[in-house]
Amino acid sequence: MKRLVIAIAAAVLALAGCGGEAIVPEGQGAHGHGADSAAPPVPTASARFNDADVMFVQMMVDHLQLGISLSQVAMAKATKQEAKDLAGAINTTQREELSTLKSWLKLWGKPEEGGANLHAAHGGQPLLDDKVIGETKEKSGAEFDLTFLNLMAGHQGAAVEMALAEKKDGMNPEVTAYAERVANTRQGQIQQMLKAISEQ
Amino acid sequence: MIKHARKAAFLFAAIPVFLFITPVGTASAHGYVSSPPSRQAQCASGVVKNCGGPEWEPQSNEGDKGKTTCAGGDRSDFNVLDNDSLPWQATSTGTSLTMTWTFTARHRTRDYEYYIGGTRVGFVDGGNAAPVDPVRHTINLSGFSGRQKLRAVWNIADTVKAFYSCIDININGGGGNPTPPPTTTNPTPPPVGGTWAANTYYATGAQVTYGGSSYKCLQAHTSLTGWEPPNAASLWQKI
Repeated sequence: MKRLVIAIAAAVLALAGCGGEAIVPEGQGAHGHGADSAAPPVPTASARFNDADVMFVQMMVDHLQLGISLSQVAMAKATKQEAKDLAGAINTTQREELSTLKSWLKLWGKPEEGGANLHAAHGGQPLLDDKVIGETKEKSGAEFDLTFLNLMAGHQGAAVEMALAEKKDGMNPEVTAYAERVANTRQGQIQQMLKAISEQ
Repeated sequence: MIKHARKAAFLFAAIPVFLFITPVGTASAHGYVSSPPSRQAQCASGVVKNCGGPEWEPQSNEGDKGKTTCAGGDRSDFNVLDNDSLPWQATSTGTSLTMTWTFTARHRTRDYEYYIGGTRVGFVDGGNAAPVDPVRHTINLSGFSGRQKLRAVWNIADTVKAFYSCIDININGGGGNPTPPPTTTNPTPPPVGGTWAANTYYATGAQVTYGGSSYKCLQAHTSLTGWEPPNAASLWQKI
């Protein structure tokens, strides 16, 4: 099924006029971000990339933003400290990831938008949207915690699926390394959330 | 038991049989029972190790409707869910059991069904609508006792598919196989030359070393593989 999903999304991209593999012209690499010694190195998605890389990064931009929105609600409303901490960690790490991903798309000359449409092209309704996130604000106490943990566990489960597809079909070493970290960190988060859900 | 079977038969009779003629498509919606922990949830949370597919995608145990197995059958790497010899933990329960579903995407829902063996012990109409979290169902297990395998089925309305979750339960503590002791997640030993370790709680301000450098924690969290200090500058400030 995943193959079909990729095929559909690849077809969508092809229709949109994106060719196969692409190479960023020399001199446009995002090297030398004036990194001072205290700042972390900015990942610089190297020149070669394919449609799977672009699709994954675009979909992740949308996915990260929704995760950040839900985390922010939970940072304010979660009652369990572990849920609050997890929301805080997801919020800050996904902001960091978002800025890296946007720099890659800029480097590649690809739009940041479109990730949501790609999700829709997969045939299902995404788990999270502004309405669903807004509705969580009406809940409180244990009911809020359970809703947040379930939504976030599901949301991050979808990220694992996208990351596994990228690891299989992507070609850019930095993007596939990022996909590996997405698979690991989201699976780890899901483990924490499943434990918290079963204790509810 | 007899009383229960009669009740189940009544339920069957009371519910009209719908025939859904739908184009064959893929359901990109996925879901599973997260509480009490289903077999795939135990794979994903590391309670049962080395499951393969369900370890990474507990939500993707998909198959045609009407299956009587724990594995959906669409993906062979989920067949592990039918292996009764693995150390699945059974949740102790009374005759009333509440289940929570976790979804990774939404799909219009025909219904949810719950079975013990061939007996349908629960049915919830999905109203042909997308689920709204949290989805919880309480079912009545009167007539059953001891260790049982409860099969939860999420029947999708607009595809031929369903998603399956088996939940091992021990009803009223009677008989059955003893529940294996819970496995605890031990913190991963710190790598040589650093004090940082995965699966460890760090408070804001905590200090660690990793790869020869020192870091200060910026946001309280439980560490994860992939959140090593050099990979998560938003969590760890180099000092």
